[in-house]
Amino acid sequence: MSVPTATALPVRSGLLAGLHARNSADGWLSRDAVSEVARACRIPVAEAWEAATSYPQFAFAPPIPGPQICMGLSCVLNGAALPDGAVATGCQFRCFDAPAPGADAAFPEAAIRVAGPLLEADSDDWRGFEQASAMSRDEALAAVVGSGLRGRGGAYFPVGRKWESALAEQRPIALVVNAEEGEPGVFKDRALLGRRPRRFIEGLAIAMRVLAPALTVVFVNGEARAARESLEVILPGCDAVLPYSPTVISGGGGYVLGEETTLLNAIEGRKPAPRLRPPYPVESGLFGMPTVVNNVETIANLSVLFRNPEAFRPSGTDAVSGTKLLSLSGRIRRPGLYEVPLGTPLSDVLNMAGGPIVGDITAALVGGPSGGFLPPTEFGEVLRPGLMHPTGAVTGSGGIVVLDSSSDIRMAALAMAAYNAEESCGKCTPCREGSPRLHALLTARSPGPLEPLLEVLGAASLCGLGQMAPGPVRSALFFWPELFS
Amino acid sequence: MTSGSTLTLDGVVVPAAGSVLDVVLAAGVELPHLCKDDNLPAIGACRTCLVEADGRIVAACSVAASSVREVVSGSERAVRLRRGVLELTAAMVTPGDTSGGPLGVTFRDTLARAGVADSPPDAPQPRSHLDASNSFFTFREDDCILCGRCVSACQALQHISAIGMAGRGRATRVTPGADETFRQSVCTSCGSCVAACPTTALSPRMEVRP
Repeated sequence: MSVPTATALPVRSGLLAGLHARNSADGWLSRDAVSEVARACRIPVAEAWEAATSYPQFAFAPPIPGPQICMGLSCVLNGAALPDGAVATGCQFRCFDAPAPGADAAFPEAAIRVAGPLLEADSDDWRGFEQASAMSRDEALAAVVGSGLRGRGGAYFPVGRKWESALAEQRPIALVVNAEEGEPGVFKDRALLGRRPRRFIEGLAIAMRVLAPALTVVFVNGEARAARESLEVILPGCDAVLPYSPTVISGGGGYVLGEETTLLNAIEGRKPAPRLRPPYPVESGLFGMPTVVNNVETIANLSVLFRNPEAFRPSGTDAVSGTKLLSLSGRIRRPGLYEVPLGTPLSDVLNMAGGPIVGDITAALVGGPSGGFLPPTEFGEVLRPGLMHPTGAVTGSGGIVVLDSSSDIRMAALAMAAYNAEESCGKCTPCREGSPRLHALLTARSPGPLEPLLEVLGAASLCGLGQMAPGPVRSALFFWPELFS
Repeated sequence: MTSGSTLTLDGVVVPAAGSVLDVVLAAGVELPHLCKDDNLPAIGACRTCLVEADGRIVAACSVAASSVREVVSGSERAVRLRRGVLELTAAMVTPGDTSGGPLGVTFRDTLARAGVADSPPDAPQPRSHLDASNSFFTFREDDCILCGRCVSACQALQHISAIGMAGRGRATRVTPGADETFRQSVCTSCGSCVAACPTTALSPRMEVRP
């Protein structure tokens, strides 16, 4: 019996691994180090340099020694301060334990607050995969289409339709799992990979059976070391269900890698910046192959779907079936991970989490830097795809940062504007030039009308990062205009 | 009307061939397109060729004409947004007195036609380096609008890859090699980058002209 093997990735895909090796060995990347990695990967030096310098995780000068302190929004809301000699880092995705030290650690079981079918304890059988294997590939595909499962990375695109489009190309397919969880305040994929790796592997096995991909890549956030280790521990024991082991690549940070064509450029050893769409990845993605990009939570949902197909559809709203993992943090009594059916009102989730730490809940930032703030009068809104409020709030990938009577809403809005300016990849003019200008105007004494700039940023930017960057500012201006006058 | 073979541009039915930008330009309608080079695939970085296509704002360079039914090039919204993007672009450069390459006047002409003012001569710029290491051309960063045409010409047309777009956000810079000069890089002085530059950032050196 022949054993299916993966098509080898071109040598240039080794760029990130090579850069990581030098960055950890030397503590930083010199020009010579990048040139050497470039030669080993057969990439022109200028291309390796433009890629390397686009990752915030790499240092290009010897690092300043000192303890690292996370200065992400949830940690700042919970009193994070920078003592003399300490180095500030961006969100370290340990918002459930704010203020958190600036280093990665295994996701604690205790931070799983409410578990549903996705987060219930891993089982030691492969019943879901066996269900899928008992069907033909077409039948299994039809089951995915019929389930109404939508992508959990934040865009909620129907998974079955994405798969059908890629298969319709009739060419070898690439499957890319997006575990580049880079949105401040979101830690669900780290939790799934670290705490429920078998659920993820079973979903991956089902996807690999239906798509029969020639290439499979799991792209993990470069700082999620514990999640990557968990994956590497379990993979060797999965021969029974996986036709071959996926290639695991660690990123170098960057919020824009949540945009799927940017992720594909990163895997190809190119500068992580968005491509023009069309062509869409399902037509021409990784190295030109029809490519399916699915989020970790989406893949894990396949396991739930094939284990109990009857239970899947009615558990969500009409539009979207299944549950959603919510990462709750900020000024809330029980921060952590909550698995709730899509369609649940935001107020229910906030109640489950025990309410504010001080006084009242004053606002919730829903959807992080790409979302918007909501005041308590809007907490009846249900979690769903698309906008939860026209000023910006989106369920997105499920990040919710809670503000209470002790919190400064204006500071939080400014922090999001600063974050979006910092994370702009620099490719398109509206986002590169407009997002820093927006932050500058907000901090100016007499900012004048902001809506013209918000409109340009939202409507003219190339990718979702710029298009959705107005949300936090527009929503804060709409609900709390007095804070900005 | 059969969708795909024709489209309505500003109320007139025209053949739908190529990109929406191709259709608009073929009809003689003026539309800025700072990063679209005749010799290169669309880059989609400058965001100045915005039009309204089937009610949505799109960059005309990156949409197939056959995929839309109606294009309005001069809708109030499209004009307002184009102007907004051009103002952001104008603020990137300090007006200089260099002559530039064959397309060097494109950017100034585009601003003039749109009635967008130059940034003040003393506006602080994050990029201000002058690379005069090459014998045939100079690179003045403070005239660069980061449209990406030079990099695309070097990487995708000539397959030399002497230059890239290093850094991110406002720190993005057109950069030879691993932060080297043009002379230190693998640049062959082919001139494709100079020929593609729509501003005066990449300029032929006058003293070596025959």
